[in-house]
Amino acid sequence: MTTPASNPPAGEFEPKIVAYVCNWCTYLGADLAGTNRLEYPANVRIIRLPCTGRIDFNLIVKAFEIGADAVLVSGCHPGDCHYTSGNYHARRRWILFRELLATLGIETGRVHFAWISAAEGKKFQQVISEITSQTRDLGPYRAYREICEICEV
Amino acid sequence: MLQPLRETCRRLLQDGTVQVVIGYGQAVRAVEPYPVFITAPDDVGQLVWNEQCRTNLVKYLLRKEIRALGKPAIVVKGCDERALVVLQQELQIDRSQIVVIGVACDGMDEPRCEVCDAHQPRFADHIIGHATNEMQPAERRYAHLGEFLERPLPDRMAYWKAELERCVKCYACRQACPLCYCERCIVEKNRPACLDTSATLKGNFAWHIVRAFHLAGRCVGCDQCSRVCPEGIDLRLLNLSMAREAEASFGHRSGTDPQAELVLGSFSQQDQEQFIR
Amino acid sequence: MARIGVFTCWCGENIARNVDVQSVAEQAAHLPGVRCSRVHKYMCSDPGQKLIRDTIAAEQLDGVVIASCSPHMHLKTFRKAAEHTGLNPYLVEMANIREHCSWVHPERARATAKAVDLIRVAVAKVRHNRALEPIQVPVTRKALVIGGGVAGIQAALDIADAGVPVTLVEREPSIGGKMAGLSETFPTLDCSQCILTPRMVEVAQHPNITLYTCSEVEQVAGYVGNFQVTIRKRARYIDIDKCTGCGQCWNVCPSKKTPSEFDYGLGTRTAIYAPFPQAVPARPVIDRDACLRLTKGRCGLCVKKCQAGAIRFEDQDELVGENVGAIIVATGYQLYEIGKPGEPGRIAGYGEYGYGRYPDVISSLQFERLVSASGPTGGEIRRPSDGAIPKTVVFISCVGSRDNAKGLSYCSKICCMVNAKHTMLYKHKVHDGQAHVFYMDIRAGGKNYDEFVRRAIEQDGAHYHRGRVSKITQEDGRLIVRGVDTLAGEPLTIAADLVVLAAAMRPAAGVEELAQKVNVSYDEFGFLCESHPKLRPVETNAAGVFVCGACQGPKDIPESVTQASAAAGKVLLMFSRDRLYREPEIAHVQESACAGCFTCRRGCPYHAIDSAEIRDRQGQLVRRVARVNPGLCMGCGTCVALCLSKSIDLEGSSEQQVYAMVESLR
Repeated sequence: MTTPASNPPAGEFEPKIVAYVCNWCTYLGADLAGTNRLEYPANVRIIRLPCTGRIDFNLIVKAFEIGADAVLVSGCHPGDCHYTSGNYHARRRWILFRELLATLGIETGRVHFAWISAAEGKKFQQVISEITSQTRDLGPYRAYREICEICEV
Repeated sequence: MLQPLRETCRRLLQDGTVQVVIGYGQAVRAVEPYPVFITAPDDVGQLVWNEQCRTNLVKYLLRKEIRALGKPAIVVKGCDERALVVLQQELQIDRSQIVVIGVACDGMDEPRCEVCDAHQPRFADHIIGHATNEMQPAERRYAHLGEFLERPLPDRMAYWKAELERCVKCYACRQACPLCYCERCIVEKNRPACLDTSATLKGNFAWHIVRAFHLAGRCVGCDQCSRVCPEGIDLRLLNLSMAREAEASFGHRSGTDPQAELVLGSFSQQDQEQFIR
Repeated sequence: MARIGVFTCWCGENIARNVDVQSVAEQAAHLPGVRCSRVHKYMCSDPGQKLIRDTIAAEQLDGVVIASCSPHMHLKTFRKAAEHTGLNPYLVEMANIREHCSWVHPERARATAKAVDLIRVAVAKVRHNRALEPIQVPVTRKALVIGGGVAGIQAALDIADAGVPVTLVEREPSIGGKMAGLSETFPTLDCSQCILTPRMVEVAQHPNITLYTCSEVEQVAGYVGNFQVTIRKRARYIDIDKCTGCGQCWNVCPSKKTPSEFDYGLGTRTAIYAPFPQAVPARPVIDRDACLRLTKGRCGLCVKKCQAGAIRFEDQDELVGENVGAIIVATGYQLYEIGKPGEPGRIAGYGEYGYGRYPDVISSLQFERLVSASGPTGGEIRRPSDGAIPKTVVFISCVGSRDNAKGLSYCSKICCMVNAKHTMLYKHKVHDGQAHVFYMDIRAGGKNYDEFVRRAIEQDGAHYHRGRVSKITQEDGRLIVRGVDTLAGEPLTIAADLVVLAAAMRPAAGVEELAQKVNVSYDEFGFLCESHPKLRPVETNAAGVFVCGACQGPKDIPESVTQASAAAGKVLLMFSRDRLYREPEIAHVQESACAGCFTCRRGCPYHAIDSAEIRDRQGQLVRRVARVNPGLCMGCGTCVALCLSKSIDLEGSSEQQVYAMVESLR
């Protein structure tokens, strides 16, 4: 995060979490969490896309490149996609991509996938809270930052 | 095997069925056979066939200058043939406009030959020879990967950091691969620049992740990429990883069934996973 | 050079309580590309919008970010405000610092920091926004309605009355659907045919309606506003223009044994027949499988009798093409198959009720025919087995519905009312009869519905037993119905003369093939899927295709008629201007970079991507590339993620925009 005032006391690590969410389900689910005033940690930054079908696997890599400690990808439940089948394509990609990450030794425990519908404000709160605390325990994602830092002179 | 091969090619050129034969030829100084493009029937003597015919020639079918020569015949091994199937499915070639000469192969002394189950060509128009070696069982197919995956995650990361540091972004892997046919490759896109193209660890990881994923469910395991890599990076591991997952999760082995549905671009409501909340 | 304006809203206390709005605005002013940063207590209010409009003009902004509530609330509002000043509305983005920030993060410092980040992301995106204009698609002002039941009839009449030509395609020889076979309708006990037949005649006579009966949709090509439909007119073997409907032909037809479809098998009909006296068109049709002339080359008595020369044994199926701009699917329902043992994949069951084995166990639609004056018994309620008048009738609810074990988990909605109606109609005809109803719950939620059920019980003496029936057997010509009365807490056995099963409503046969032809999804029961169950109940995800009536879900006549008018309204809305205006946030292919692998086409949920030929000046084919149909693309972006060369991009969520957003979080 950016402003010094927001930095936690020295030694306390606050994870940076990027969430790619679909506009029709998860984004509205997050709105619902807001309407219901369900509190959750302020570490997540949402990037709104029309559909999980739009989410390229490279965006997950990109998130790690810019220093994210965990990534969440979330959309409509299978069968409920606003665009009928975008999330089915996404799911197929995720199955393959996760395997690739594992082969490369990239921590798959830092890449999270969820189906969160527009009615699941509570689930959104829970998922974000869980991911934030898990990532806090895992610590900063040094391995990928090292890969990236080498080229930044 | 060589005589029948040369004879078949001579006949095809002589009666005008094809205008060019893409095959393996031996140069005077080169150690390994290199690709030849024979247009005259009398030149078929240039064709060779031996245990060093490792290259996958299918890539040449996509080159404009080869296409300009006319209808081609191509010499393929059982492993190369799979690339033809995928290219047809992806509408890059018209199989009916190509004469495929499949040559039975007992192995070219490459890592993939140890687990090969395609000694005998399956989709060719002409088949030369008969393979004598046993077909390898399916369980052995991903053995090389299986050994690698016994390492814990941090060890794998350390391995790849060491390997990919050597990559110099020569893109030989892409150039040699029959399925990397995009004329404007994603690395050449600059608005936005999706990938870091520098030959640094960050850029190398970015490229190899993208390439491996773009070949997920498509790579036919011809191992051209690993063979041509000047730095000796074991790209085979990445491709095997995706091939194994495609087969395990979607029952798909690229290039083995011309009627099969391609992996990306389709989906099943029954696609299974355990990791989505 | 970007000239972005950032407008941060207090939203009264809603944002300002947890986010330091002033600090946010000050930090936003220093973001790259930001020209000015303003605040307002209520940005969506008139003065708030005036601030935005005035600032756009004064600072000559080329992009606007509103940091306030969710875009689902007010993005349209702010885009309209921008449009009023002449700034293209698609150059406006929002940062959600209310629902996603102040309302969920009580710690002021962290909420403020997050708000700045969210604005940073929005600014990074809007710098790459492009001015977009709505897509214009030409429209053929003609509609197609598939299905001629009450819903199809209503929809066709509404559209035709508005002056728009309609083609109505019906698979049966007559329109009218299930309602034409009913005796009376609840809750008024109106004669069903009396209220329906005037509508049917209106359809036949309407100058704007082209009616095809004995016809089905063979193929649909094209897209919204521009469908090319092929209709198969099955051979009727009658020239309906010459025929006068005199009936001489069916009076002499020797083939008399075919079970009547209209009477659901309770009666028979001839091979040449009119389905019912009020059929529209009022012309017969020949059943080619029952006709002696067509199967064996014999007979031909009808030709001899026909003075109009209207019989044509040489008739063939005919294919007709129609160009339409919108399609309404109103294919209605059929009853659940009771009693037939299941082949794999076939939904059927309740063989233990004896349907199909005991002639006196019938379905609710069959009972309707018994009661109906034009039915096989002339309106007298008689047992199919021996023609005797039943003195005890048992009606069973929920046969097939609400039963996960039989594969249908839903409630069929109308059966409670139908049963109540049947008990009343029975009592009105058999004064000394006793009706029993076995029910699980009473669902009577419509206007005057509950009162109707109470009337059945209190005035017409129906006995209602809360419980299910386990088995029906036959003894001495009577049906032994074994059930339970859960309120009394005891088993209950009734010796009945007639049993009527309220079978579940299922979508009509063949609906899945039709749905695939028009690209409409259907659920596991075959009911067609609406776009949104609450807010878009008659639209589908196939642009230009609408649904109404029982094909979308179990419903009664008032609801079918309502949905039909709603669908007609949607069609007329589409036709209200001579072009369709669609949201421009759709995909586009950079053809020079496209590799022609068509992965995008395979993945597109709307079949919105075609293959386009690139030819040189001599007309030689150079290559084929993907091309997006702007009339169909819905902007999901699945194609973008699938594209290997990244030659396809999505306006509104372009690669530039998304990568810039992620980068801004570094």
